[in-house]
Amino acid sequence: MPVFWREALIAAGAVPAAFVPEASLGRNDLTTVTGADLVEGARLRAIPVGPAATPPGPAAFLDGIQYWAVTAYDGVTPIVRAYVAAAVRRRGPDRRLLTVADATREFGVTSRPALSPAVRETLARAEVDVIDVPATEAGQPGRLLSAVQVQVDRARERIERELAEPYVAAMGEGEWLVVDGLLSDCAALARHPRALGVVKSHGAQYFEGDDLVTALTLSQGHRTSVFRPRGHEHQPVYSWYLRLWPWEGNDLHYGLVRIEARAEPETVERASTLSAWLIGERAPLSTPDARWDRLLYPIYEVEAYLKSRAPRDLLPAAGTRLPRTGT
Amino acid sequence: MILRPAPDAKPVGRVVATELKPATPYQFHFWTATDTSIGIGAIVRVEEVGIGTGERVVYGVVTDAFAYSDLATPLHDVVGAEGNPARAAEAPTMRQEIRLWTAAVLRQIPEEPLQPVPLGRVYVASDADVAQALRMDAYLTGATPTAIPVGLYSAGGLEAPVYLDAEFLLGSEAAHLNISGVSGLATKTSAVEFLLGAIFQHYPGHKGRIAAVCFNVKGPDLCFLDQPGTLLDEDRARYARLQVTPRPFAPVRYFAPFKSDGVNLNTLRTHPDLVEAVEPLVWGLPEVLDFAEVLLNRDDIDAKADAFIDFLSDRVLNREFEDGFGGTHRVRTFADLERLFRAIFDGLEASGRGDMWRTHHIATIRKVRNRLGNVSTRCKGLVTDDGPSNDLPWGRFEDRAMYVVDLANVDPLGQDLVFARIVSKLREHLEKRALGVDAVVVFVDELNKYAPADGPDTYVKKMLLDISERGRYLGLVLFGAEQFRSQVHRRVVGNAGTQMFGRMDADELATPGYQVLSPATKIKLATLPVGELMVRHPHFTQPIFVRFPRPAVLRGRDGVERFPPAADLPFEEAVVRQLVRLDPRVRPNVAKDLIADRDEDDVRRALGATRRERPKDVLAFFRKVLGRSIAAETPQVRAVVPPLNPIADEPY
Repeated sequence: MPVFWREALIAAGAVPAAFVPEASLGRNDLTTVTGADLVEGARLRAIPVGPAATPPGPAAFLDGIQYWAVTAYDGVTPIVRAYVAAAVRRRGPDRRLLTVADATREFGVTSRPALSPAVRETLARAEVDVIDVPATEAGQPGRLLSAVQVQVDRARERIERELAEPYVAAMGEGEWLVVDGLLSDCAALARHPRALGVVKSHGAQYFEGDDLVTALTLSQGHRTSVFRPRGHEHQPVYSWYLRLWPWEGNDLHYGLVRIEARAEPETVERASTLSAWLIGERAPLSTPDARWDRLLYPIYEVEAYLKSRAPRDLLPAAGTRLPRTGT
Repeated sequence: MILRPAPDAKPVGRVVATELKPATPYQFHFWTATDTSIGIGAIVRVEEVGIGTGERVVYGVVTDAFAYSDLATPLHDVVGAEGNPARAAEAPTMRQEIRLWTAAVLRQIPEEPLQPVPLGRVYVASDADVAQALRMDAYLTGATPTAIPVGLYSAGGLEAPVYLDAEFLLGSEAAHLNISGVSGLATKTSAVEFLLGAIFQHYPGHKGRIAAVCFNVKGPDLCFLDQPGTLLDEDRARYARLQVTPRPFAPVRYFAPFKSDGVNLNTLRTHPDLVEAVEPLVWGLPEVLDFAEVLLNRDDIDAKADAFIDFLSDRVLNREFEDGFGGTHRVRTFADLERLFRAIFDGLEASGRGDMWRTHHIATIRKVRNRLGNVSTRCKGLVTDDGPSNDLPWGRFEDRAMYVVDLANVDPLGQDLVFARIVSKLREHLEKRALGVDAVVVFVDELNKYAPADGPDTYVKKMLLDISERGRYLGLVLFGAEQFRSQVHRRVVGNAGTQMFGRMDADELATPGYQVLSPATKIKLATLPVGELMVRHPHFTQPIFVRFPRPAVLRGRDGVERFPPAADLPFEEAVVRQLVRLDPRVRPNVAKDLIADRDEDDVRRALGATRRERPKDVLAFFRKVLGRSIAAETPQVRAVVPPLNPIADEPY
């Protein structure tokens, strides 16, 4: 994608902008109550998973990133430049990760009907994919930016799926794929016997009352009983919570991840074994990332790989947005 | 032999630059895979594929290295391993880590405009790259190449020849070599031996004739330069790569003084199979008196002593001289000189003319007599009291010949004397273009002893300084070696155009002279294996590490084992053996009969004369000289000199 299309838009009358929204780096947590059905035992329990275990076989790790920024305004309509990327990095016998698949996509997001004819025409001439947000979202920029966020999320999920599906199809015997986030977004992943999703954000609420207390106050090295989250009917999965690090003295979500795996009885049988493996993945720490208590190091490394290849001008500014004085 | 680079070479690294570690015209940083052949001292090539200004190629040498991971603080490793170091190694994933290298720029092409190193791809240097990087292309090719192979640059399986420029090693652009390193690793001497071999084989014909004079000052180091040593296959391969034929030196002439008996040579090369090549080094009074200053220590140096020595040289030596007390002297030997001194002392005492003789105070005369007497006592085998000299072949030096002067067992005073005299004679003959060769390499080990940074300004030190500063105009080239470079006079090492460093002592590396080296380079120097050196040369903008094959000559220690020194022979046997060596027709029994019951000094004198003359009929000449010189003389009864102030009537 040419990097000069922004300049062309500005030449056509758009006003330059450089706004990287805080939420542009990842998905927003959802705060919904969805509920869950227990598939292991009669009530939700905290189950010790035993000492950290070695991986059950070769493993690969999939993660994606997304960046977007408002690069120009035409009137009050933001024109967004977005970038999504995903990669699968496989861990070799030397315990180092090697990229085996990756993909990137750069595109624009705006509401073309709301643009002036000159800017719209320029955008059409530019060799850039443009995703339109619904015209109903046009108006106050905040609303449109929320819609942009959704579009970018989808684009990232799509590119992750495009990598994951052929990869799991070709995955060797005994090989595992660990995905950062939900499995249920992708049918191929959700159905694969050796795919795991590791969810770090806990916006969705599956339990209430004592079960919620059990889930969120797990001790280190414990998991909950396996349950089937509701709201994932399009791609059913089994799930359980796992505490990687003791939360006492920190926060309820500290060191807490939710694991997703194929909705099959064997998942229940090996939930503890898989949990012990993931506890083993706590080392090395994924510091200095602030999410190190929940972020597995290989996932962190995939993210670092993707970030290193992302366009630098889309990264959030490290310092203040005040004009530089040159002093 | 320079090999062209493989066209399909793959990059091994990439230049990186940050605000804190920018690339500059003289330094850059690059990263490589963790598993890499790059190391400290490796030469690399950076390529910038034409952006605007076209292609730029930069050559650099690795001077420092860093490895680090994405670990934010060591504490995180402890936390991850839950305090158990064993578990830290069991983590299922290895941390991301980097091998980051710092390189100093050797050369940029094009050289102008001089710009920061581009952020390009990094390749391991090939043979041709090494030649370019070290600017060797200027003297490797052309109508009058002047390249002298010094060793192989080795990195990543590549062994590229490294050459020195004879114009900068042996004059006239620059000259002299200084090599330092700890003792006992067989590096300094071996390196010089290999380099001298390479010089003799590659010294360009258009530069003239060359020879080398080596002073063997310890053990048997240089005693077997004409004997082949043991080489490994890897040594032979290196010789082939450097296009140097592995062969011992030829011709080699050895010079060694006698032991105190005056007939057995004072050297470890006395095995019957080898001793023939050793010639005695014997000097008489004239040779010593020319360098009398060497014999005087700092306290002795005064104008009076100098004046008296000059007086002896100008007015007394080899002249008919009246002592002022009625005696006439012709002083040719120490014995003659001693007779003159005795006559002066006795005359002064007898005449009661006070303490002055010909404007010289008696104390000065006694001091000079004492010092000169010391020489004939302490260097008895070198200095003959009464007899002919035997010296290096001044004026008849051969091209590519090696002259070894063995001083290993000579008194330090004698070493100074020999060294001073030989180097002065070399200089004198080179100035007149009358040595037989156009350039001479003088190899002196133990510069810490002969040219220390502090201590008195001895004659030897002054002479070494003189060679260092002016020798290159004459073709007098100093190859000096020492253990501690920091403790050698800085003008001696500073004037050495080429400098080599073997394994260094850590204390020595901490001295200011090594501040220009990076810590990593210092570590490499402190752990250099045998056979590897760091070389600085005017054409190289940075020090380069090279490996050299072991010299093709027998090492001193091996030589002593293979050719154990012969035991000292009784006087008669030693004389006979020397006569037989001069002329195999000499029948030992006849010779023994000839010298039986004869005074040993007379026999020595006759033998020395025979050796110097090398007549066709050795025995006849020897008999003649012996017969002519041994005429019995009635010893003069020394007149009893009454005390100047006799104490009369004193019972005790």
